[in-house]
Order: sequence, then C-alpha cells, then structure tokens
Amino acid sequence: MQQSEPSAGRTPETVKVVTTHPLPAIPLCIAPADSPGVAFLGMSDFAVHRIDLAADKPEAKPIGEARHGSYVTGIVRAGGTLISGGYDGALIWWDAAAGSVQRRIEGAHAKWIRRLALSPDGSRVASVADDMRTKLWDVATGQCVAEWGDYDAKTPHGYPSMLYTVTFSPDGRFLATGSKTGLILVREAGSGSIAARLEAPVMYTWDPKARNHSIGGIRSLAFSSDATLLAVGGMGKVGNIDHLEGASRIELFEWQAQSRRAEIEDTKYKGLVEALRFGPGDGWLVAAGGDNGGFVSVYAATDGRLLAQEKVGNHVHDLALAADGASLVAVGHHQISAVNL
Amino acid sequence: MHPDHTGGGTTVHPQDSTQGSGVAQPGSGISRRRLLAMSAAGVASPLVADMSAIRLLRSPALAAELRKQERRVILLWLAGGASQFETWDPKPGVKTGGPFRAIPTDVPGIHISELLPGLAQRMRHTAVIRSLNTKIADHGTAAELMECGRRNDPSVRFPDIGAIVARELGRLESTVPDYVSLYTSTEGRRKGTSGFLGARYSPMFLSESMTPPNILRLENLTDVDHHDRAALRDALARRFTAESRSLAVDSHLSAYQRVQGMMASADLFDIGREPESVRARYGSTQFGEQCLIARRLVEAGVPFVKVARAWWDSHGQNFETHQELCADLDHCMSALLDDLRARGLLEHTLVITLGEFGRTPGINASLGRDHFASAWSCSLSGAGVRGGVAYGKTDKEGHTVVEGEASAGDLFATILASLGIDPEHEYMLGSRPVPLADFGSAPISEVLA
Amino acid sequence: MRPTCRLACRVVLLVGLGPATASLPAGAAEWLPAATDLPRAIDHAVGQHLEKAGITAAPAADWPTLLRRTALDLAGRIPTLAEYEWLESLPEAERRLAMVDHLMALVDFDLHLRNGLDELLLPNHPHNGEFRDYLLWAVQSRRPWDQMFRDLMAARPSEGPEKGAVHFVRSRVRDVDELTNDTAILLFGVNVSCAKCHDHPLVDQWQQQHFYGMQAFFSRTFMTRQNVVTERPFGQVTFKTTAGEDKTASLTFLNGVTIEDRSPTFTEEERKRLEEQLRKMEQSDKVGYVIFPDFSPRRELVEAALKDTEQRFFPRNIVNRIWQRLMGVALVDPPDQLHAGNPPSHPELMDWLTRDLVDHRYDLRRLVRGIVLSDAYARSSRWTSADTPPPPSSYALASTRPLTPRQMATSLLVASRGTVMDVAKAAEPGGAWSRQRLDLENQAGGWVREFEYPAEGFQVAVDEALFMSNNERVQNDLLRDSGDSLVGRLKASATDDALVRHVWRSVLTRDPSADEAAAATEWLARHPDDRLGSIRSLAWALIAGPEARFAR
Repeated sequence: MQQSEPSAGRTPETVKVVTTHPLPAIPLCIAPADSPGVAFLGMSDFAVHRIDLAADKPEAKPIGEARHGSYVTGIVRAGGTLISGGYDGALIWWDAAAGSVQRRIEGAHAKWIRRLALSPDGSRVASVADDMRTKLWDVATGQCVAEWGDYDAKTPHGYPSMLYTVTFSPDGRFLATGSKTGLILVREAGSGSIAARLEAPVMYTWDPKARNHSIGGIRSLAFSSDATLLAVGGMGKVGNIDHLEGASRIELFEWQAQSRRAEIEDTKYKGLVEALRFGPGDGWLVAAGGDNGGFVSVYAATDGRLLAQEKVGNHVHDLALAADGASLVAVGHHQISAVNL
Repeated sequence: MHPDHTGGGTTVHPQDSTQGSGVAQPGSGISRRRLLAMSAAGVASPLVADMSAIRLLRSPALAAELRKQERRVILLWLAGGASQFETWDPKPGVKTGGPFRAIPTDVPGIHISELLPGLAQRMRHTAVIRSLNTKIADHGTAAELMECGRRNDPSVRFPDIGAIVARELGRLESTVPDYVSLYTSTEGRRKGTSGFLGARYSPMFLSESMTPPNILRLENLTDVDHHDRAALRDALARRFTAESRSLAVDSHLSAYQRVQGMMASADLFDIGREPESVRARYGSTQFGEQCLIARRLVEAGVPFVKVARAWWDSHGQNFETHQELCADLDHCMSALLDDLRARGLLEHTLVITLGEFGRTPGINASLGRDHFASAWSCSLSGAGVRGGVAYGKTDKEGHTVVEGEASAGDLFATILASLGIDPEHEYMLGSRPVPLADFGSAPISEVLA
Repeated sequence: MRPTCRLACRVVLLVGLGPATASLPAGAAEWLPAATDLPRAIDHAVGQHLEKAGITAAPAADWPTLLRRTALDLAGRIPTLAEYEWLESLPEAERRLAMVDHLMALVDFDLHLRNGLDELLLPNHPHNGEFRDYLLWAVQSRRPWDQMFRDLMAARPSEGPEKGAVHFVRSRVRDVDELTNDTAILLFGVNVSCAKCHDHPLVDQWQQQHFYGMQAFFSRTFMTRQNVVTERPFGQVTFKTTAGEDKTASLTFLNGVTIEDRSPTFTEEERKRLEEQLRKMEQSDKVGYVIFPDFSPRRELVEAALKDTEQRFFPRNIVNRIWQRLMGVALVDPPDQLHAGNPPSHPELMDWLTRDLVDHRYDLRRLVRGIVLSDAYARSSRWTSADTPPPPSSYALASTRPLTPRQMATSLLVASRGTVMDVAKAAEPGGAWSRQRLDLENQAGGWVREFEYPAEGFQVAVDEALFMSNNERVQNDLLRDSGDSLVGRLKASATDDALVRHVWRSVLTRDPSADEAAAATEWLARHPDDRLGSIRSLAWALIAGPEARFAR
C-alpha cells in the first residue's frame, strides 16, 4: 500500500490489480499496520497472520503461538494492540509486534463472532455475533461496557438468524449493525438508543419451494465521513440458492431521513458485497466481494453510478482502503491482492 | 403370467391371497344372493399357486418373528447431500474442517459437529457410519444408487429400500399404506420406486399437499354410493379375475380392496389431531411437521416412511446453509427420537439419515463444498442398531476412507439386517435371481445390535 | 463369499446350461422353405413343440376377444363400437383378415408402433417430443429397422426428419457405461455389464474384452456445450484385467470381430490444437464450430452389427422384443440374455423369423402382421381343463397382459367419449378419424402417468385404484354426461337392455352374459330417482374393472 496525501476531490477511473499472492488459508478479515504494505489477517487456520506485501516474496505468518478455536473473522488494530474475534466466540487482545496474547475473553459471545469494528478514537471495539448481540468493549481494560439485543434470534421462517456486520460512523457517534434478514439498526454509540431502523429485505432470499432454506444477508456497512450516508452491502434475490448467483447489491441510505438514495445491482460481477468503504470526500464508495470469483467496484455516492470495476481473482472477504483512497488491499479466497484505484 | 417356482428364492409377485374373503356388502339394491351367484362360477381359485403363500410357508418362524417385532423405518433423506464435516464426521482444526467445533456426545469418545447438539445427547441410540465410499457424485445417479443400493440397469428396474421394506415387513392384509414418501421441495424431488416388486409396493407419494392424492371421496358421491359402486365393480369383476389365473389380475382386485382402508387412513396425515404440546416439540418447520406425520404413520403400522429434507446442495455458503439445515435436522430428529422412545416405538423403529452423497473436503471460493461420494457419513438409530457406535474412519482431512470402507450395497445389507431381513435373500425375477442387497455386499456387523 | 457381480452372471444357473443351441440360419432354411408365409411358419414351430411336449393348445378365442386383443396390439386401443359392429356384420371367415388389414391401415398402427419403440428405446427416460416425432416419421415412412439403427447411432446431426433420433445417444451421453449397456441391451439383447469387472463366469461368449470392446465404440462420444453430440478424433479405452494387467480395448463387436481404428495419426502439435478446440466445444456456448471426425466409432458399430450374419444380435433382438410384446413371453427370456447358454424356447422359429426379417429389409410391419395372423396368437387365454396350465413359453394359450399406460389411457378415452368412427373411411390419410385419433393420442398423454408401465411382476397400484375411485377427472371427464359421451349416450338409450349392451360393447368389446345383464338391470332399477348416478356408477364399475385393464 502506498501512502500519500489525502486527495478529497479525486475519483477513481480505473481499478487495477497490481499484485496477487497466494495464501495458505482463507483470509476473512484484514487490519492494516502502520508500516506501508504490512497488514494483519484473520484466517481460516484459526490464526492471526502478518504479511508484508513489500517483501520480495510476501508470506503470511502467524503473529504468535496462540490460536482461536475457529476461523478468525474480525480484526481491528488500536495502536500497538490487535483485537481479533472468531467463530469460537472468543476475543483476543494481542501485542501486534510481539505476537503475544495480552487478554483472551472466551465466550465473549455465545455464538459465532462475525465482525469487529473499532471506534474512531480507538477506545472501543464493537463485536457482533450470531447470538444476535452487539457488544461494546473497552479496548484498554477488556471490559464489556455495553450490550444490546434487539434482533430476533430466528428468521421469520424459524431458522437461526445471523448478525453479520458492524461499523462505526467516522465521528464515533453511531454504530450500525446488519442482520441476515436485512434489518439494519443504527444506534447512538454512547447510549445505545436506536437512532434508525432500516430494512433491506431484498438482501435475504428465502426459498420456500425449491430448496427450503435461505441465503444472503447484510454483509457490509459503511458510513460516509459526515455520517449522513449509510451504504449497505449484500446480494440481490437469488434464483438457485445453491450458489452465490444473485446480483451484487448495495443500498445507499440517507439514514436519518429513512430514505433510500440508490439501489445498486450488478449482474456482471455477482455475489455478496462483503466490504464497503467511502472514499475520501464521500464522492464515491468502493465495494468488494464476489461469487466464486471476486471483484472490486467503485460507485458514485451521489447516484450509485458505476465508475470503475475489475475482477480480482477469487471471492473477496474484506478490504483495507488506503487513507488517500488511491489503493486498497483485498483479501480473498486463499489470496491477497494489492489494487490501485 | 404364471410364475416359475425355482426353489431358491421368492418369486416376485407377492400378491396377497384375498380371493373369497371379504366380498363387499352392498348397501342396498343389488342383492347379496346375486353377487354370490355370480361369484360361484365354478372356477377353481387360481391362487393355489400364490407364491407369497409358499414363501411364507417356507419360513414361518422367520415370518412370524418379523411380524412380532413389528419393525419399521423412518428414512430422513437429506436431499442434495449433507456435509459429513458439519454433521457426523467433524474435523475441526484441519484445513478442510471448516469453522465448526466437534462436541462430545453422551457416548464417551464420540464427537460430532456442534451443529447437532441435540443429537449429540442422543448418541446412545445412534450408530454413525463414517466410511461410505459410493463413488458416484451426480445427484440423479447417486440418489438412485443410495435409494436402491445398486446401480440401475435398463433391463431390471430395482426396487428402492422403501419398497423392499414394505414388501418384507408390510402386512398383506394391512389397510394402511406400507410405503409413504414425503418430498415437498421441488429441487431433486424423487418419489421413490418399487421397481420389479411392482406397484403394490410403490410409495404413497405426498409432495405439495400433506393430504395424499385421491384419498378423499368426491363430494358429489355419497358414502353409500361409493361403497355400493365398489361392490358392483367387485361383483362384475369376479368372473374375469377367476378365469384369468393371473397374479397381475389378482393385484387389480387387491388394489381396489385396499381403497376403503387407504381412505380411512387419511387422518394419519392430519397433525391437527396431535395435542398442541406434541406439535410444539416438533416445531413449526415443514420438516418438523413431516417428522410428526412420520411418527403417526409408524405408530399406525406403516412399515416405511421417507421424509425428504431438501436441499443441502451447498456449493455456496456451505456453513451458513448447514447452520440452518442442521438446526432443523437436530431439532426435529431429536424430537422424533424422544417421541418414539416415549411411546415404546424406538426399539421397533429404525431412523436413518442418508442422502445421495456427502460434500468435498475442499472449501471452494464461495465458502461452499461440492459433491463428494468417496468418504462420507450416514446414521442409523433405534431398532436393530448398536447405539453409541462410530464405525469406520476417514483420513485426517477427510479425503479418503482409511478404515471400514462401506459401499451402498453394504449399507443396504446393514439396514436390512438391522430389520431382521436376510440381505442375501433372493427375489426371482423370472429366471433371474436378485439378492435384496447387491452382489458382493455384506452387513456391517459392528453397528448391528 | 458371494460373487461380486451384477445380475446377468447368474441367470444361466437357473435356466440350465443345456447344449449350446446357437443355431445357424442354415438350419432354419432346412427346417421350412424361406417362402413359407410367416403365420404358417410360426404355427408350424409352435405346433411341433406342443406335439413333442404332449400339450393340447387352448381353442381359438372368440371373435370379440380376438378383436379386442388385436386392436390393442395394432391400434394401441380398444375397438370402437363401429369397428365391433362392422366386424359383426362380416361373415365369420372374413373377420380376421379384414380386422388386421383395417387396423394396420390406420394412423393408430403407426402411433402404437411408435409408442412401442419409444418405450423400448428410452425406458425410464422422460418423454422426449423430438424423439417421438422422429419415431413417428420413421414408422410412417416405413423406414426399415436397420436404417433406424443408423439414425440412432448417427455420427452427424441432421436437420432432416431423422434429427430427433439423436436423443437415444444424447440422453445417455453423460455416462458412457449407460450408453454402452443400454445399446447392448436394447439393440442387441445382450447385457454385458457384468463383464465390466471380469470375464463372464458362465457365458464363455462374454469376456471383459467384450464390455470394453463395446465401450470403445462410445468412449469418444461427447456433447458440446451447445448440446451437439459428436465424437473426439482420438482416444482409447483402457482397462485393468482381473489379473491386474492394463489393456487397451480395441473396437470389438459382441461377436468378437474387431474393427480397425482408421483415425488419422496426429502430430503432437495437431493433437494439442485439437484438444484445445475440443475443450472449447465442451466448455463454451459461444464456439462457432463443431468437429465431426471422419472416422466414427459409432458408425462402425452399426456396420459391424449389420455385417454379423452368424449370431445376428441386432435382428434377433428386435424379433424377440416384438414377439414378447405381442405374445406376452419372449422367445429368449429374459430378452437381454441372447447368448448360447440361454437358448430360445423355439430355436428354429427364432432363426426363421430373424432370416425373414433380414430378407425383407427389416420390415417390422411384416413381422407384426405375421405374428398376429398366426393361430398361436389367436388362442383363448382361458384354461378350462383341470390339468396344470402349460408353461407360458409353450404358447398353448394366450397370455393375459396388462395394458401399457398409453393403451389404457387411449382406451379409456375411446370408451368414455362415445367415439364415433366411419370404418370405411377411417384409413384416409388426414381424414376425420386420423385427426380424431391424433387428438386422442395427445389427450391420452394427460392420463398416462396414472398407470404403471407393465414389466416383469406387474401389479396394479393402489394409487391407480384410488385415482379411479376418487379423482375428479374420472368423474367429470370419463363419466361426464354430455350428449356425445358414453354416459350421455347411455342416458339416451331406449331400453335398459340396450343401455347395458351398449356399455358392455363400448368398454369391454363384448355382450354381457345373462347374469351380468341381470345384475346391471337390477342396479339401474335401484335408484329410479337418480338414474344418472346409477348409469355413471355402472359405467364406472366397468371402466374400473380388471377386464378393462387387461388384454386377454
């Protein structure tokens, strides 16, 4: 990743994959380090890895001996501390440099942890899990400082629901979460009171006739820097739910007005939108995800117009966008790619 | 149409000797005297040569024993192919293992996927087979293989397990159906087939509606008219049936004689007749309701019920899919096992989970697993089964079977043996011997009680 | 240890390993002059065997029974009332020939032969309209059976009327074992599947080489992404013998004759280029070409089978199948076991019919006509003697055969619709009857799934009895009382006697016996206030009866 001065007015015209490196396991989440080109990855081998893309032969290596009990699905970095969460329901605080464990909270959630989000001031980490709880943790002490429910444990069709994703607004005031069935809750991060309740039901496909189960869910959320816009990522309605064959889908909300500014569906690059970020200046947003194959797409935040896109190897699970918006690192199935915008 | 009796096996044509019994009583009008006069055509009963009678005589002890045990089967058909990793053969911590943990069960040393917590607590009733290698990994052909225990052949239509069990365990005089197949989802929907055993053993098939087709009387016909019309039909049929000396023709008679009984069994499909507390235990999912129907049916003496739970074909989002489907399976099957046990039926009832194949060790880019038939699992619970057994072994990452490899035929032989049916018993299809379980197969004695 | 083999292996154990009587056509020539007409040859052969076995055959069936049987076999349906009355009006001696000539001239014959071939060639496959259209065209244009065989195996797609024939291969193209087996079984009467794993333990004729030799004819067959069936220009079948030796199978027909592979040899580079093109054909739906190699193993199979003048698997198989269809029991039973260890019940007859078929350009009509005009075909199915009935393979009495779903459906419609026919004009191509019959054929399609296809061990399903008893289509369609329907006509009958006779003739092709007539009359008098209900119930009792379900 190249660091350069933020350029608020610049809008990407192309997406170009610069390099792609294979990985020994599936990276499910990424947190960039301070040094350019270095990132921490939560992976399917239960470990947190460090990789230096600037190296001759970039190689992902576990940062320490400790392991989660399952896939590592959320990772954030607060200064020299990494916090990871996994499908084992545990949270681990790591010394990012030494790779040692500073704190380990087993049973942080009763079910799979799906995502972590760090508050902009670095003091709080939010976690969401399939126990349908949203929890707020003190980064320094590891204390759970708040906990919210408000989601149904089951889908309307009687199956376990899932709480896939969480994000803070850049000013730290709001926290948004999104569920399998398409319910988005925006809360005051301080009080926990619900500031908005939004629905994106198209993201959830229930097939009562052919296959008798479901697919989909809200997989990604992003606030614009002024926190007025909330982008919601997932997949459109799916015909054959054996495959990720729905259109990739983003809904753009002016959430305080409860109004949907744009609905974006892309059938060229299908599948789940797994990660979303607004570019500097909020003029555009970048989405990544995929079916078997992966993609990175850039859309105008004003009306959802497609600005640029590119195929990126395999299905992308997460991305880290450089502060200047000129590049990103996408982690996908057994691979990591550096991408210029 | 006269079967050759060839000694070794059973000639296929298992017609029930119904001639002379139960002349339907007309309600009014046409006289009983008239009906009797018409039947007294002076033709000797053609059913002297009824092969099923001979067969039963051949081994009266066995037949009696089977009837006494009243064995039944509920097959939970996991259509589309459930993942062995996410059910019976978890491999946590290896590359192929996926994110789920293995949890201990009520049987020390046996762990299954955390997605089946209820079944883990009922492992003492269950034998898991982790070493199926059935080779065929496309849905249609594999389903046929796992239903029939062998590959099909254009010259012989093989019966599936339901038809064989119906044939072997059904009571000839039974008025309830002896093979009921429920498959509501449209994907991969299969009815089941009685093959050369003939339509007497083909399944009563329920798909969209949980009321069997054509089981209710048409409104514009009164009950009396329905009965009288049937009596007239029987009376007019008698001469032809007697003269034809054909087991196929006799089957026409017995099919019509079963109509009233089948119509009376419509209530079995109505779970509204169950107490609310029982319905609540099975839950409100379609699969739960159908498991309850299955329990009602076996309780009423139906020997084979297949409940298909589709569709497990998780090429994309395998783990999400299994979170839903395993939750359904775990809840409903746990309720079913408990209910059967509470009613004293579990020792008579074999509950099977099986699909057409398992799923690949490799996890694809959609976090899915694909079709895989080389090393996968199934389970047998209840009657005839040594509970608390995990038979067979796959390698560390689940690519191959390393211990106790079992074919579709072996599984078939095991199922039959657990029901007290000799897998080597041969049907005679004309001059062709067809063993119940395929040539070269053998029961897995380790999972048999 | 149980034998690790599929079905075919053990069949001969039970039929006995008698002397190998794979008789040769020369023997047939000596047995009866080739010029003998077919029915006489059949009766001569069947008669000889009966005499030798000391069996007295059943007498001839009465003419209404024979009319019903023949109509079902030739027209795929029961006779219309008009046909019954027309035949009744003819002198007894003329009825049989007139009946056969009449039925064979109708569109019914073509439809029914087409249906029979469809059931033979695509059993257990979904109804395929294109394939059925092809078969009908072939039957109507009197295409010889050997030519149809070429169509089925054709190596190049056709845009002509024969194009639907491709479905024989296409429906099995994803499984070369199935394609090999089905072809061997359905077209040659040979089930070689157990020779896949080892040489046949009991049939010396069948060795592993035979299975793989047969498979070699199909192993290059594949379907492009655009659903075109073609063949690769190279590729061989290799297999492991029971001794563990790796062998390459050459193109070998069942009689052991090996066909030289005349494919061109390709340089490494050409081969690579071809591989790439083939890969594209298989994977892309945008390829603008299909490769059809000059050397086609499937075409070679046809030539090899037709050149086989010794064992004659191809013509013997169809003789055996058609015989089975019309007579109830195959000459070689089971019909997928044409080998020396399983001789025909009437070896000379089998040879004679085979030679006659080949000599007469594989004309299936001639064979069918010959069989239905024989005395053996025309016997009664009733065995009134106290003695044990003779074995079915003696053909001493006719078999009682369940109707196929299509025969049943069409017959139900013919009976219940009160079908009208002008017998004299019925054979006119495109005439009123042809149109009506094609319409019935289409309508029958909506009923066929309610009836089980007859196979060994056939039984009537309780589902069928429930359908007939409770389905509203039976009540509202088959038993509707509009003017032109059966029930409508019965309602309009002048007397009960006429009504009863009408319904018996319409449904069962005969007059009622005295006690049947009395029972029916008594039934009608039962509810004078619900005469329509009584009539419907009477008609139902007959259409739902066994006599309507079987041919005897």
